[in-house]
Amino acid sequence: MSLPAANILTTASMAPAAEVAGPAGRRWARNLEIAIPATILVLLLFFCFIWPMVYPVPKPVGGSLTTVNLPLWSKGHIFGTDIVGNDVMSRILYGGRVSFEVAAGVQAIGLVAGGLIGLFAAYRGGWTDAVLMRILDIFIAFPSLVLVLAIADSLGPSETHVIWALSAFSIPAFARVSRAAALQLRDRPFIVAARLSGTRAWRIMFQHLVPNMLPQLLTFTMLGASLTIILEGALDFLGYGIPQPTASWGNMIASGESFISVYPRYVVVPSIFLLVTAISLNMLGDGLRARWDVR
Amino acid sequence: MAAPATAADPGGQQAVQLAPAPLLEISDLRVTFRARGAHIYAVQGISYTVEPGQTLAIIGESGSGKTVSAQAVMGLLPGSAHVSGSVKFKGEELVGRSQQDMRSHRGRSFAMVFQYPERSLNPTMRIGAQITEAVRTHVQLGKKEAHDRAVELLKMVRLPAPERRFYEYPHQLSGGMRQRVVIAIALACGPQVLFADEATTALDVTTQAQIMDLLLELQQQTGTALVMISHDLGLAATYAEDVMVMYAGKVVERAPTKELYAGVRMPYTQALLDAIPRIELEPHVLLPVIGGRPPDLASVPQGCPFAPRCPGVQDDCRADAPVLKQHEAGRWWACWHPLGTGARQ
Amino acid sequence: MSSTSVGVQPASRPGGATARRLAGLARSPSLRVIGRRLLSAIPVLWGVTLLSFLVMNALPGDAASAMLGINATPAELHAFSVQLHLNEPLWVRYGHWLGGVVTGNLGTSLASGHQSVASIIGQRLPVTLELVVYALIITLVVSIPLAVLCARWPRGIIDRLAMLFSMGSISIAPYVLALLLIIVFCVDTSVFPSIYSPTSTIVGNLQNYTLPSIILAVPLIGFYTRFLRADLLEQMLAEDYIVTARAKGVSEWRVLTRHALRNSFIGLLTVIGLNLATLIGVTVIVEQIFSLPGIGFELLNAISNRDVPVVEGIVLVFGTAVVLANLLTDLLYGVLDPRIRHVASRS
Repeated sequence: MSLPAANILTTASMAPAAEVAGPAGRRWARNLEIAIPATILVLLLFFCFIWPMVYPVPKPVGGSLTTVNLPLWSKGHIFGTDIVGNDVMSRILYGGRVSFEVAAGVQAIGLVAGGLIGLFAAYRGGWTDAVLMRILDIFIAFPSLVLVLAIADSLGPSETHVIWALSAFSIPAFARVSRAAALQLRDRPFIVAARLSGTRAWRIMFQHLVPNMLPQLLTFTMLGASLTIILEGALDFLGYGIPQPTASWGNMIASGESFISVYPRYVVVPSIFLLVTAISLNMLGDGLRARWDVR
Repeated sequence: MAAPATAADPGGQQAVQLAPAPLLEISDLRVTFRARGAHIYAVQGISYTVEPGQTLAIIGESGSGKTVSAQAVMGLLPGSAHVSGSVKFKGEELVGRSQQDMRSHRGRSFAMVFQYPERSLNPTMRIGAQITEAVRTHVQLGKKEAHDRAVELLKMVRLPAPERRFYEYPHQLSGGMRQRVVIAIALACGPQVLFADEATTALDVTTQAQIMDLLLELQQQTGTALVMISHDLGLAATYAEDVMVMYAGKVVERAPTKELYAGVRMPYTQALLDAIPRIELEPHVLLPVIGGRPPDLASVPQGCPFAPRCPGVQDDCRADAPVLKQHEAGRWWACWHPLGTGARQ
Repeated sequence: MSSTSVGVQPASRPGGATARRLAGLARSPSLRVIGRRLLSAIPVLWGVTLLSFLVMNALPGDAASAMLGINATPAELHAFSVQLHLNEPLWVRYGHWLGGVVTGNLGTSLASGHQSVASIIGQRLPVTLELVVYALIITLVVSIPLAVLCARWPRGIIDRLAMLFSMGSISIAPYVLALLLIIVFCVDTSVFPSIYSPTSTIVGNLQNYTLPSIILAVPLIGFYTRFLRADLLEQMLAEDYIVTARAKGVSEWRVLTRHALRNSFIGLLTVIGLNLATLIGVTVIVEQIFSLPGIGFELLNAISNRDVPVVEGIVLVFGTAVVLANLLTDLLYGVLDPRIRHVASRS
């Protein structure tokens, strides 16, 4: 107990804590910042992936004309049905599957590929770094939307292809973050000591650098996931992503656009889910960053 | 100098017509921080006075509360700090005043010089602008007059080429020069008390001596009282008239410098003195260090705060906390078994 | 007695002084930095154009099939593509285009037949520029004062509301926001048009651009407010020069604006510059929704038409914008931060 107390008072600057110390409930609030979005996400994941396997949810496609345009809170259709008779709620759930799968896939690819590239570039430095950075710059300067649209267009619309296409965004982004994080760490005394003591490069990179980079990378993963879900929606919205009749939040919004003045709920319902998911991911990322930010 | 004190009147401020009224009267000052649900008792009831023109050294290790107490006087503590007790500047009570009132005092009645000169100046603002800001906060001066006053101040702190330095940025100056600028800023409006919080700790030894000499010189010139806050007993010995030793948020010993070094009473002070490397020591001898760990300020100890680490600790030390009392003329200490006297006090 | 500084020597010939001044300029370190950065930007731009060329050619179909439609016979397709030089090998076509670029000719649009890419870009670019500039103005006007207010009273009511709002604003998808705003502003009332209509009045112009700019601005406001607030708070709570300023007796507002804010500007500019690339992506979507005739919209059309020269031209513009933005940001950083400025001039 004595050490934290001493730390508070012995920092060179005047303020006893490098953040505004509020009332005694600070730790509570901090935990809540992580707990609430995490809970929401877990609930969403549960309902999208596990619930339809357990509960007989109506099919997201192949609705009948007899059940067209049912309003919200109708019997058997909580969110009503759309213009071809599909149950909106199940389209939301299955569409959510798509969103989460795409986000997970894109972030995973970005984290592994981009993370490795950035780590490598930062560790090697010199020419390797310069060349890799130039290539990265090309992808960053390139309007990736073009690349994404082109890939989606040429490969044909499908979920896997959307994942590959969106990786064009995430790999350079992760590479940048990973490189910056590794550069920060590279000159820390414990890394320099490891290098001087002859530790092999692979060891240094994976046993020392990566674990210390993880907090930043994971935070970025959360924030990136939120962006990816929005982007995937944008792709669907522009018509290049998941094709109808498969459900995805993006294409639900897109097809709802035409009816916006008559049935705004076709746009509003998936938009709310999109918003809540994105906010949760962002809050989680922010909360993790606050928790892990070592000063 | 301090009025002759009696045992019943430790502050020495009553009655005697010879002495001028003290500038700063601090009495039972307590500072408690509320951080993350815990309470940190940084300052646990200290009292001292500062006379006009006096040089007082407040000595203590990290966590002793020396810096926090000075910040409390100046009103620089954040909202999480709870300050109680009394701080009177020329009779005017400062504890509990609004920030607006305190602002009128800061810079004008008292000022502070900090430890890290490279961090104390705004890196993107020219030096001259930072000085004129100090001046114009309290005095209505036009740009030209403020400029002249700033240059005058730079000359006063012996900064070479003051006219040119006015337009330069902090990073263009060396550490010692920056500290001079900080001193110039502090003295800009003629404060009557100057707190120097580890002002020379971050400087090399030669510069340290230069800055301390400068401070003393300026003190003579302007009649400002200087309160040196440091952990360096050697510094106190060389430059201060009176020394006050703090430990764990309390004052444990106070005496005029010569008397203190001639005969230390508090074992803690003795231990600090012993820890200073001396040329008379045998080579390759282990320096005596103070055993144990610094005190935990999250709780108020029952007995003497130094008891866990005191080489001469006895049972009554752990039971009751000794009170700071003036036991001899001009000398205060808080110890049941002070050195050099033997008996329990 | 050194006389190495430019301008000390008298000019012996009239042109000599100018030449010497230019030579002195060439020695100037900041121009050298600019020059170096521009040079290193060229391979990046080249890479960008090459990449998009390859991508476009990897797409199924070509301009000929896009324009003639599904019902065209192979013979017609072939004839048309010869006309458009599409039958030549990849490298030849790229080489032609590259050669054109170097001489300043961006080629002709395949879809429109005779309109030069440069003129298409020239028509469309101002629209996008106005959109972006308008959005940035809205952003800065809102986010800077908001961040200052948040930093002045941390955890106060303004701060909490601002943080809630900013979390929402960075999480909302632009197309969702667009549709919601359209519901509110365009469906029942016609304060703002939901489709661009050409106009020559300033009010009409603003009407056209306001909704799209707001949509662009909203996530930016969220982001910049958070960033600036964090930067300001970091200074206000932990920096020694802030304490020095308070110890001088300076008011809290002045400390915030004259000391902390001025230092934060540098960071803010960096963030804006680096964000420009993502901004471009969003303009494409926004232009599509509102049918704004900007280069983003044009890009989408060109891609579906397989109009390679137009795509290349626009990609080049985008790439150049990003490169220039990064360069400007770096330069501004060097100019605004006196520490860097002086290191540069001393080296």
